[in-house]
Amino acid sequence: MSQQVENLIKKDYAAGFHSAIESDTLPPGLNEDTVRFISAKKGEPEWLLEWRLKAFRAWQEMEEPTWAHVHYPEIDFQSISYFSSPKSMADKPKSLSEVDPELIATYEKLGIPLHEQEMLAGVAVDAVFDSVSVVTTFRAKLEEAGVIFCPISEAVHRCPELIQKYLGSVVPQKDNYYAALNSAVFSDGSFVYIPKGVRCPMELSTYFRINEMNTGQFERTLIIADEGSHVSYLEGCTAPMRDENQLHAAVVELVAMDGATIKYSTVQNWYPGDAEGKGGIYNFVTKRGLCHANAKISWTQVETGSAITWKYPSCILKGDNSVGEFYSVALTNNFQQADTGTKMIHLGKNTRSTIIAKGISAGRSNSAYRGLVRMNPGAEGARNFTQCDSLLIGDRCGAHTFPYIESKNPSAVVEHEATTSKVSDDQMFLCQQRGLDAEKAISMIVNGFCREVFKELPMEFAVEAGKLLEVSLEGSVG
Amino acid sequence: MSDFQNVALQLAESQRSPDWLQSLRERGALSWSSAKWPTRKTELWKNTPLQPLAHDLPSRWAAPTAVEWQRDIEQIDIDATQLVFVNGQFMVELSSELPVEIVRFADADAAQREVIEQKLGTVVDAERHLFAALSNAWAADGILIQVPRNQALNKPVYLLNVSTPEAEPAVSNQRVLMVLGEGSQAELIEHYVSADSKQNGFVNSLTEVIVGENAQVQHYRINLEQEDLLHMGGVHVNLHRNARFHGFTLAQGSRLKRIDYQVNHRGEGAHLELHGVYLPRNRQLIDYHTNVEHCVPHCTTNEVFRGIIGDSAKAVFNGRIHIHPQAQKTLAELSNKNLLTSPTAEIYTKPELEIYADDVRCAHGATISQLNETSLFYLQSRGIERAEAISMLSFGFINELLTQVPEQAIQDYLRPRLTTLFGQGSELLGQLDYE
Repeated sequence: MSQQVENLIKKDYAAGFHSAIESDTLPPGLNEDTVRFISAKKGEPEWLLEWRLKAFRAWQEMEEPTWAHVHYPEIDFQSISYFSSPKSMADKPKSLSEVDPELIATYEKLGIPLHEQEMLAGVAVDAVFDSVSVVTTFRAKLEEAGVIFCPISEAVHRCPELIQKYLGSVVPQKDNYYAALNSAVFSDGSFVYIPKGVRCPMELSTYFRINEMNTGQFERTLIIADEGSHVSYLEGCTAPMRDENQLHAAVVELVAMDGATIKYSTVQNWYPGDAEGKGGIYNFVTKRGLCHANAKISWTQVETGSAITWKYPSCILKGDNSVGEFYSVALTNNFQQADTGTKMIHLGKNTRSTIIAKGISAGRSNSAYRGLVRMNPGAEGARNFTQCDSLLIGDRCGAHTFPYIESKNPSAVVEHEATTSKVSDDQMFLCQQRGLDAEKAISMIVNGFCREVFKELPMEFAVEAGKLLEVSLEGSVG
Repeated sequence: MSDFQNVALQLAESQRSPDWLQSLRERGALSWSSAKWPTRKTELWKNTPLQPLAHDLPSRWAAPTAVEWQRDIEQIDIDATQLVFVNGQFMVELSSELPVEIVRFADADAAQREVIEQKLGTVVDAERHLFAALSNAWAADGILIQVPRNQALNKPVYLLNVSTPEAEPAVSNQRVLMVLGEGSQAELIEHYVSADSKQNGFVNSLTEVIVGENAQVQHYRINLEQEDLLHMGGVHVNLHRNARFHGFTLAQGSRLKRIDYQVNHRGEGAHLELHGVYLPRNRQLIDYHTNVEHCVPHCTTNEVFRGIIGDSAKAVFNGRIHIHPQAQKTLAELSNKNLLTSPTAEIYTKPELEIYADDVRCAHGATISQLNETSLFYLQSRGIERAEAISMLSFGFINELLTQVPEQAIQDYLRPRLTTLFGQGSELLGQLDYE
C-alpha cells in the first residue's frame, strides 16, 4: 500500500510541459509607461488608456488585502512582466492552418480539440495562449445568430460603445487591489454579447493557458446578455509546470439584463506547486455578475489547481425576482491554499439565491469557504439557502468556514448550514470489503460528495471535472 | 490612541489598588494603550461601532448611591449567597455573609492572594480582547470564588450588579475569578440590572473561570439593563480534563452591549454547553462573540443561540469554533437562529469553523427569518388574537432554551418579563406591519 502511494505521489503533474515559442515580452516592472505600452501595443483608443491609468493610479494608493486565510511570501509586483504575446501573432493568423504548429501541438497535448472540436463538441473555442487571443472559431455561426464572441481587444474596436458602457460597470476599477491591477494592465480576454431574445446556439468556451516564464496573466472577461437571452460559458485552464510563482489576477464581469440567463462554468486546474509546496500559480480573481429583473446568473466552479486561490464569484441581485446560484467544488492537496466562496447581495424583491459549496482538503492544504449573504432593506420576500460541506482527508490539512450573513429585511429568509467531517471509516470499509482499493474508494466517495455540483456542469465538463478530482487526489490516501 | 483610551488610562491612574495587582495593571495598561482603536475595518468590531463610548466620555468612577434603587430592581428569588454591587462597589450591608470559598480581593489572605496573583488574567487573552486589557488595567477589587477539591458550594453564588443613574457619565469595573479544584462543583449567577431611569454609565465586566479536572460549573449571565447603559463583558473559561461548563446567557437592553465568551478546552473529555438568547429592542445593539478553542482530543461543544430583533435594534452574533491539529475526535455544533420582527431591525451573524484536524465532526447552522405566517394563521383560526399569537410564537422560539435552564428560580424570574416584553412588542407590531 505505502509503496503504491509513494509511486502515486511521485507522479508528475500530467499537464506539466513547457512549449518553446518565442514571444514578444515586456521586461519586468510596472509603471505608467507599462500601462501606456500595453495600451499602445493593442492600439487602444484614448479613453481606454485613461481608464487604465485611472485604475493604475488607484492601485498605487491601495493596500494589498491580508484578510484571506492564505499565507504566501510577499509578491514583488515589479519583478513581473506585464505583457507577452506569442511571436507568430504579429501577422495575425486568419484561420487554423495559419497558426504556429507548435501552438497547435501544445493544445493537442492538453487535449483541446482545436481542429476537430467544431463537430465533436459543438463548442466554439476562443483559445487564449498567454495574453493574446490567437484563434477564434465558429465566429461565423455565432454571427449568424447575432452573437458577438471575440477577444476583448478586438471588441474595443468592433463595438466600442458596448465596452465603454459596460467595462467596469460591475467590477469598478477601484473595487479591490487585484481588480485595480487588472484594470490597469489587463492583457486580453473574452467578450460576449448576446442580443435580445437570442439563445446562444452553442456553449461558448475559452481555454486559458499560462505559458511564458514569469508572466502574470491578467484576463478580462465581459459577458453581456441582453433582454431575454441565454448563454452558457465555459472556462477551463491548465498550466505547464514551472518553479516560479506566477501571479494571475483576472476579472470577470457579467451583465444579465431583464429576463436573461448566464451560466458560467469554470474548471480550474492550474499548476498547484509540487509536493513540497514549491511553485504554483497565485490566483486572485474577481468575478461578479449583475442581475436585472427576472434574470439569472449561475456560477459553477471546480477548483483543483493553483497554489493559492482567492476567488469569490458573486451576484448582485438588483432586479426583482432575479436568481443567483453558486455551485463550487474546491479541492486542495499538498500545500495548496484556497480561500473561496461567494457573495449574494439581495437588493430586489423576491430575489433568490442558492449556494452549494463543497471543500475537500488533503495533504497539508487549507481550504476555506468565505461567503457573504446580504439582504438589503428592499429585498422583500428574498430567499437564500446556503450549504457548505467540507471533507478532510489526512490529519494535517485544514477546512474553514467563514460565512457572513446579514439581513435588514424581516420578510427575507436566510438559511445557512455547514458541516465538516472526514471520510468515514465505515464508508471506506464497505468499499474496500467490496474489493475496491483505498484510492478508488476515496475517489468514489469524493465524487459522490461533489455530485450536487457536478450535475450543474455542462456534460463534457462534468466528465473532465470528475477525472480531475481523481488525478488531484492521487497520493492523498495513506 | 483614541480619546476613550486616554480617558480610561487617566481613570486607571486615579484608582486606589493593592500593590500586588500592579504588574497585571501595568500589563493591561500597556496592551490597552498600544491597541489600535477598532474601526469598521476591524474584523472583531466590524458591525459594532464604538461611537457611543467616545460620544459621552466618562469623567469619573461611578459611586454607590442611596439604597433607593431597591424599589425598582426586582431580584431573582433564589436561596443563594448573595453579593450586591451598586455601580461596581460592593455593598456589605446588602450582601449575605460570605462563606470561606468567596472573598473580595481586598480581603484576601496570603494564600488567596497568591491564587489571585497566579491566576488572574491568565485565562483571558488580553491581546485579542480589547476590553479585557482594559479590565486588567482597571483591576482593583473583585471577587474570588475558590472551591477546593471534591467539594461543592452548598448554595449558588448570586452576583447582583446594579447600575444607577449618575449626574455625569461614569464607569464601573467588575471582575470575577472562579477557580474550581478537581472534582468540585459550583453555580454562579451573574445578574446585571439597572434602575428604571436614564443611565449614562459604562460597565466593563470580566469573569474568568478555571474548571479543574472533573469539576462542574453551572454559569448564568443575565444582562437586563436599561437602554442607555453601555456594557462590555467577557466570560473566559479554561476547561481541564473531563470538566464541564454549562452556560446560559440572556441579554436585553443597552444601546451598546458586547459580550465575549471564550472557552478553551485544555483537557481531554471536557464538555461545553452554551445557550444564549438576545432580545434587542428599540435602538439597542447587542453583540455576542463566542470563541471555542479545541486544543486537545475528545472534547465536545454544543452551542445554541437564539435572537429576536425588533424595532430598530441591531444584533451581531459571531460564533467561532477552532479545532487545533491535535484535537482529534472532537464533536462540535453551533446553531444560531434569528427572528426579525420589524422592517428596520438588523442582524449580522457569522458562525465560523476553523478546523485543522481530520477526525472530527463539526457543524454549524444559521437562519434568519420572520414569524411564520402559516403558524400565525393557524393560531388565529383557533380564535387567538394576532398580537397574542405573535407573542406566543416569539416565546416559543426561545422557550426551548428557557426550559433547559436547570435553575427553576431563573426560569420563574425570566418568564413573566419575557411575556411582557413580547406582549408589548407585538401590540406595536400589530399596528405596524402585521396588519
